[in-house]
Amino acid sequence: MIHSKPLGWALAFFIILLILPSIVPRFFVYILALIFVTSLLAMSLNLLVGHGGMFQFHHAVFYGVGAYTLALMVTKTSLPIWVGFVAGPLMAAMAGLIIGWFCVRLTQLYFGMLQISLGSLVWAVVFRWYSFTGGDDGIHGIRMPPFLSSLTSSYYFILIILVISLILLYLILKSPFGNTLQAIRDNPDRCAAVGIHVRRHQLTAILIATFFAGMAGVLFVVLEHSVFPDLLFWVLSLEIFIMCLLGGWFTFGGPILGAAITVSLRTFVGKYTEYWTMILGIILILLIFFLPEGVMGYFQGIFKPRAKEGAQRRM
Amino acid sequence: MKRRVPMKIFPLVTVVLAFLLVLDPPGAKAEPPIKVGIIDTYTGPATTFTYDVRDAFKLAVDESNGKGGILRRKVEFTTRDDKFKVDICLSMAKELVMNEKVDILMGTINSAASLAVSEYCKTEKIPFLVTFSKSDKITGEKGHRYVFSITENTVMIGKAAAVGLTKKPFLKYWIAGDDYEYGHALADGVWGNLKKLKPKVERIGQSWWKVGEPELTPYLTAISAAKPDAVIFATGGASMVNVMKAAKATGFAEKIPMFVHTATEHSTLAPLGTEAPEKVIGTSNYHFYFPDTPKNKAFAKAFREAYGREPKVGALYGYLAAQFIAKALEKAGQMDRERFIDALEKMKVDSPVGEVEMRGYDHQAMLPMFMGVTKKVPEYPFLIGSDIFTIPAKEAMPSVEEIKKARGQ
Amino acid sequence: MGFSVPYGAAELAGQLLVGLSRSMILFIVCAGLSFVLGVLRVPNIAHGSLYMIGAFATFSLSKFFAGSSAFWIALILAPLLVVFLSLIAERALFCHLYQREHLMLLLFTFALSLILGDLVKIVWGAEYRSVAAPAMLKGSISLLGSSFPRYNLFLIFAGLLVAVALWLFVNKTKFGKISRAAAVDRDMVGMLGINVSWVFAAAFVMGCYLAGLGGALVAPTVSITLGMDHTLIIEAFLIVTIGGLGNMWGALVGSLIFGVTHSLGVLVLPQFAIIFPYAAVVIVLLLRPKGLLKSVW
Repeated sequence: MIHSKPLGWALAFFIILLILPSIVPRFFVYILALIFVTSLLAMSLNLLVGHGGMFQFHHAVFYGVGAYTLALMVTKTSLPIWVGFVAGPLMAAMAGLIIGWFCVRLTQLYFGMLQISLGSLVWAVVFRWYSFTGGDDGIHGIRMPPFLSSLTSSYYFILIILVISLILLYLILKSPFGNTLQAIRDNPDRCAAVGIHVRRHQLTAILIATFFAGMAGVLFVVLEHSVFPDLLFWVLSLEIFIMCLLGGWFTFGGPILGAAITVSLRTFVGKYTEYWTMILGIILILLIFFLPEGVMGYFQGIFKPRAKEGAQRRM
Repeated sequence: MKRRVPMKIFPLVTVVLAFLLVLDPPGAKAEPPIKVGIIDTYTGPATTFTYDVRDAFKLAVDESNGKGGILRRKVEFTTRDDKFKVDICLSMAKELVMNEKVDILMGTINSAASLAVSEYCKTEKIPFLVTFSKSDKITGEKGHRYVFSITENTVMIGKAAAVGLTKKPFLKYWIAGDDYEYGHALADGVWGNLKKLKPKVERIGQSWWKVGEPELTPYLTAISAAKPDAVIFATGGASMVNVMKAAKATGFAEKIPMFVHTATEHSTLAPLGTEAPEKVIGTSNYHFYFPDTPKNKAFAKAFREAYGREPKVGALYGYLAAQFIAKALEKAGQMDRERFIDALEKMKVDSPVGEVEMRGYDHQAMLPMFMGVTKKVPEYPFLIGSDIFTIPAKEAMPSVEEIKKARGQ
Repeated sequence: MGFSVPYGAAELAGQLLVGLSRSMILFIVCAGLSFVLGVLRVPNIAHGSLYMIGAFATFSLSKFFAGSSAFWIALILAPLLVVFLSLIAERALFCHLYQREHLMLLLFTFALSLILGDLVKIVWGAEYRSVAAPAMLKGSISLLGSSFPRYNLFLIFAGLLVAVALWLFVNKTKFGKISRAAAVDRDMVGMLGINVSWVFAAAFVMGCYLAGLGGALVAPTVSITLGMDHTLIIEAFLIVTIGGLGNMWGALVGSLIFGVTHSLGVLVLPQFAIIFPYAAVVIVLLLRPKGLLKSVW
């Protein structure tokens, strides 16, 4: 009973997503693809924030590194695009390793602040190194191979990569590694006391999370054919953070919902008013007061009240 | 404790998506209007410029619609705010094209965003009029059939400023500005051309501050220690005002001649009121008081009456966009994108600054530049540019050969 | 590269003073941020927005009271307006969250910053605003061989005044001692019969007052625009972190490091001056991860 029902739903939903491009207008295919990319990014962050309890305040840096790696490989080398697809997440993971190595020595707010500083340094370099990264102009018109050149084909490619990544993330979370990570989140001192290498675990988690963030960056390029320094800016990091909280950060799929809601609202509310930011602020406040577990957490609470206990914690 | 793949998400997301699909019913009208989409920045410091573009465009469109419209169709335009972020700009541009189904796209003040949208318009084959981005790559290196620019770019500014500066006696220059692409391109444009026209000039130093740096006093005091003959400031956005403020507070403008592109522009001088420094040399595409022609007077009057403020340079761009669109469509005879583009090439329109031509080869509007000096006058509660002389478009434009080279053709 | 200026003692001293005046504004603003961080243990993201409102309010008030003392009146009233706004937010919404996780409080301040940001746009529009320095502080004087704006000199004095006032407040007043105690152990303070919620409210309001005051003081030196909140908040966060979380004197140290290294960097290595603050933060955090001065908790 535990696995067959949600699996059935998931499969049905997946099939719907597969046939959607042929029945909905092009614009919705684009928005869905954008939601997929953002979901992967949010999911990768939540591995660290929700399940790992780490203050990953500048996750966008790794997203940007992945995107720029692919962009630079396509525009500056004549290597086949597959090399770029693999190099993107790898470079992001490497950046994650370097920055993470400095950050794990600290805890909580200091971890976050150091990451913001280091990340901002990376952003500043990308922003100013005009001859290499295109500076604040960015790189545009990045050519994709013919099999990815249309919107529909990008959609399918992104969807497939997203599904594979989600499965991998799910397995990681369910594994002993994932369980240990959550244990560290709940009580790092006790874990250390029983002999767990807290720092090493956290660093490995960072490696995984930044790998998937880089993957999301690569998918962004596939969809939009552009990169620019905004992708590494701290404001975006904060936005992804909000998506995780919005969707429900102690659940598995919450960030996906958070990403979907944010992107949809931003696009559709933006049609009617300039003051979309204020509306987001109001929504957030409503959420804090009435849906603190996030939208997903709220629904889970209704259908599975026992799971809520694990979610009550002081940070 | 086990965590399950949440099944409740799926019906929820489906419902949300379905709801959103329904939220956008297509509108059915008798004689469909010509739809123009404007994607621009309406949040943050850039907004003061972009509001003028939108408002002047609206003024012109309302006037045209009042006279029956173009090709007997009304022009309708809708705006989107990109919040100066490139990814939002791309999303919104795609929304305007795929969802709103606009015939023509216009925008934005963010150069990176303009370049990104320009590439998109190339693949979608929809005409894109750039209204305020200053990167010369837009119609230069990255130019193509579907993108047009009705605003100045850093190469044009550089050439025009250099032409003006060669007339001055200065030899030792210091260069300072905002540390981003625009600032550097502007400085390179001015300096490169100045050096070509007057090889004796010497650059004795440079200073660069982060974009939006509020406190420029330390930079000015450092520069005055070096005692240059004059300083070229390459500033954008809020820095334009900050540099003027700091120059006044430190008395810098009194001691060392300054050149700042936009120093004589109303956007820079209006917020400072009577506190702006005098004697600053500046260049601008538009002044509401110069040239003192009936056309300019009428335009400024109409804008002032509609919006309660004097038109700034963005208003010129908005007005030009409306004129180009109207005349090109009339010439094309129908709202067909390809014919519109063909008609727009080499199109000449009348404007408050005189006749402006859209150069056929690179799709760059040939705008004149005006150089003047800031001066306090009794008629206005703000400073204006005085002793203004015109640098005609032909002297400021990069040559077609240079464009060809940049595009690798 | 040879782009730096041949400088002597006079230039160095002049730059030092300029850096000092900038540091003072940062200090006033960051002291408020630090104070709130110390007592409530929440970094107030809306701090930048309140600073921005302080600046805009100063503009409106000085226009309204047109006259030679307009600026001084505005200087007094603008921060009070900010206090009024923050009190509303605090009593209506914020105080109900004190028992919740810190991340919720952080999120609330973020939501508040979004709302306030757009509110400023609605009320004041998109035009750049400018406030003139008061008549007696206009112009510059010749100090140590270079010309130095009078107003910046005033800022240095103002900063020192605020520092002294804060020291007196924290160490000599009853409320100051209570808030210090609440920062370290709020439960104990509650058990002593003091209403912790009121302590928090007062601390929050005081922090916001400082933000508004910083905005009012900075108004004559910069152009007042939308987006001021974003530029400030990231700097303020970094300063507060390297100073030691919750430690107001740490905020002073951090602000001095920022302001002075920046202005000296401009003189010595103008090409890279923008990197200096980030590099400084990275160095400090690597050597002393908890900040330079002791954190309050």
